[in-house]
Amino acid sequence: MSVLQVILNSIIRASELALLSLGLTIVYDILKFANFAHTEYAVVGAYFAFILNVTLGLPIFFSAILAAIATGIFAILIDRVVFKKMRNANGIIVMVTSLGVAIALRNTVRAIWGASPKSYNVPLQAPIVTKYFRITPLQIWIIAVGAAAMVAFYILLHYTRLGKAMRAASDNPDLAQASGIATEKIVTAVWFIAISFASLGGILIGMETYLLPYMGFAIIIPVFCAAIMGGLGNPYGAMLGALVLGFAENFGLYINFGKLFNLGGLLHITHRALFIPTGYKPAISFVILIVVLLLRPRGILGKKEER
Amino acid sequence: MGFVNFLVYLAIMIGIFAIMSLSLNLQYGFTGLANFGQVAFFCLGAYTTTIITLTFGLPFIIGLIGAMVVAGVFGYLIAIPTANLKEDYWAIVTLAAAEIVRIFFLNEGWVVGGGPYRGGAFGVGDIPQPFKSHFSAQTYPFFYLGIVLVCLLITYLIINKITDAPFGRVVKSIREGNDHLAQALGKDVRRFRLKVMATGGVFGGMAGCLWAHYYGFISPSQFLPLVTFIVWAMVIVGGKGNNKGAILGTIVITLFYNSTRFLKDYIPINEITLASLRMVAIGVLIVVVMLFMNEGILKEKKKIY
Amino acid sequence: MLRLENVVKNFGGLQALSGVSFRVEAGSITGLIGPNGSGKSTCFNVITGFYEKDGGDIYFRDENLEGLKPFEIAQRGLSRTFQISQVPEKMTVFENLLLAPKGQTGEVITNVFFKAARIEEETREYLEKAKDILKLLKLYDLRNEYAGNLSGGQKKLLSLGRVLLTEPTLILLDEPTAGVNPTLINDIIRAVKRLRDEEGKTLLIVEHNMKVISEICDKVIVLDFGRKIAEGTPREVQNDEKVLEAYLAGSSKKWDV
Repeated sequence: MSVLQVILNSIIRASELALLSLGLTIVYDILKFANFAHTEYAVVGAYFAFILNVTLGLPIFFSAILAAIATGIFAILIDRVVFKKMRNANGIIVMVTSLGVAIALRNTVRAIWGASPKSYNVPLQAPIVTKYFRITPLQIWIIAVGAAAMVAFYILLHYTRLGKAMRAASDNPDLAQASGIATEKIVTAVWFIAISFASLGGILIGMETYLLPYMGFAIIIPVFCAAIMGGLGNPYGAMLGALVLGFAENFGLYINFGKLFNLGGLLHITHRALFIPTGYKPAISFVILIVVLLLRPRGILGKKEER
Repeated sequence: MGFVNFLVYLAIMIGIFAIMSLSLNLQYGFTGLANFGQVAFFCLGAYTTTIITLTFGLPFIIGLIGAMVVAGVFGYLIAIPTANLKEDYWAIVTLAAAEIVRIFFLNEGWVVGGGPYRGGAFGVGDIPQPFKSHFSAQTYPFFYLGIVLVCLLITYLIINKITDAPFGRVVKSIREGNDHLAQALGKDVRRFRLKVMATGGVFGGMAGCLWAHYYGFISPSQFLPLVTFIVWAMVIVGGKGNNKGAILGTIVITLFYNSTRFLKDYIPINEITLASLRMVAIGVLIVVVMLFMNEGILKEKKKIY
Repeated sequence: MLRLENVVKNFGGLQALSGVSFRVEAGSITGLIGPNGSGKSTCFNVITGFYEKDGGDIYFRDENLEGLKPFEIAQRGLSRTFQISQVPEKMTVFENLLLAPKGQTGEVITNVFFKAARIEEETREYLEKAKDILKLLKLYDLRNEYAGNLSGGQKKLLSLGRVLLTEPTLILLDEPTAGVNPTLINDIIRAVKRLRDEEGKTLLIVEHNMKVISEICDKVIVLDFGRKIAEGTPREVQNDEKVLEAYLAGSSKKWDV
């Protein structure tokens, strides 16, 4: 595999992770709890798209958009039934509740669609192959959607009234009331944005591989790591975290650590190749998380101590 | 006889999981540490005793002690980078750590001796059952139940005693979100957290050891995060911060979990759907209890002087 | 007893304390006043180690507190209360007080099993002290109530009581009378004076109520924008022009004489 290919794979992974970790971090920012159901919403979104695309036969493009919207609304409904009643509760209480929601969602999906993998009805497209890399049109889409979502979020945060209100609510919930948009409306908007982005992420992952009820759990650790690395509650931090993780996961498996430790033959320790076994891919994000937490307990871009 | 055997099986399950609940209750119910990786203790305990008793052929008691020590040390280690962090971080770090432990045993078959179709995803069988030769196949489960209940009793007494002591007072003040207060009173909050995690690990390891010798076969697929979530449901339903509640919650959840097995005899439903619906119910139960009866069935006891 | 030398604390670009120096003499009550945002609470947090300072030195009984963690500073006999009472809600008033004594035998897990008798003895002793304190603070009837059910003023009193049980050398009180009903304020004043006069304790108090300040303080230090602008007896400080100016300009808080 060429270095260029590894870079490309890293960017693809980062785009998927960013779509998910961004939502996780803004929900944390506004609602002050770590939502352990976040990646399960992405799974729900992916299966919504499956209904539209496979069961109803809609093109995947429209299925994805409709499913993202539907899942956003679904998240608002769950909020009304569950989380709204806990607005003033301690973050740990809400977090544990979100764990309950996660377990219920994951297993509802499994009860309905079973545990076997499912695929979208997507026309097969030939990958673009060059001497140095190979990329499928779908992967180009993933990068494009990821990038577009980040830009859209930036515009939303800085150039709209809602964005201003969100930033105000993040700094000071009481002040936000004064800025004209009621806090509850901000919360609704945040759920919608966070979860529809997450759904897009889930759908894209589902398109690239396949759909599984456990795909949400499979990705929860890197998504949280990305968000924490950037400082929970910091949207740009989450994007940066996703990028770092995307590269770390791919380069972690690509780099020959045997060569690295040997300092190019300088130490004559060993000439054996020493790669991280693929089975340990999930461990990479964990190790990075621990290192980050040890060095910068509030994440790379985290806010410093509050006054 | 079949029914009695089933009851003994249930009682053993309740005993083993009650130890897990008491361990989590110490961490979450009393200290406010959201350990989403409780299963790691269970897994480490099970594998440690397997290695000690099967690979090295040492007696059960050494396996039990080893399991408790290894899981306790793990609890202590995992708390080091997290001890000064907020509960959100704690939850994800423990969740991830538990997955790493499982992945380790999935990839490293050699730790249990290796061999064809052995270790890693294949799991390990033939884990010796303590004092098996002294009993008949019919009476052995009763004896094992005895071992489990003795372990549960010891766990209950120890955890009850330390949560009732000044130690328990300090960890409760940490739970109440008053890191600052405890610090201002000269308490080394970090050390208390490390100790709680180590103690939680010791008993989680004990439960894992009992599990391994009961089943006689372990594999990484038994140590999925699912186990952690079920133990959480037990603590939350029973009543966090109440040790009797933790045991009661274990009984309730275990009975619920096992009673739904028989549903498939009455309704045409496949195994996977049933298992999923069972977990949906557990998830919904957690949400409902958190929303409407935050304190669980048995409230935390108020200490009167 | 306590000596601050050129203490600096920054928050981002903002300088919350810019070179503050003062002394707290043993056996005295020192008031720390100033308009809102003048750095009083920051000063407390820096002294007690909750904030890391960015410059200067703090000495407590001639020991430099550099690099010590909050609990280590507390263990040296420096006890504080918080502006917003930190009260574990699901612990009773008694439990709150029993939490306070430092280095209890029963805080070590192994001792719980091997030194049970000593723990019981200690608990009895602490309970007796706690009872006396609760009677003094008029909280005795609430002794087995959850602290979360107390009023704001009662929580303040409870915090004060807890500090007393730590057997402190130096006590830092952050707004001990804010939100406390006026009759209780007199009790607090009496309790604080008694601490100095009968038990020889040293106190540093952040307080807005000038009546309290002038009644109990031997010395007052005035902060404004993170600088010390005046120091003296309550009377001297109240007539200081710079102080009046700071209060009139900086805050809606009036002299509450």
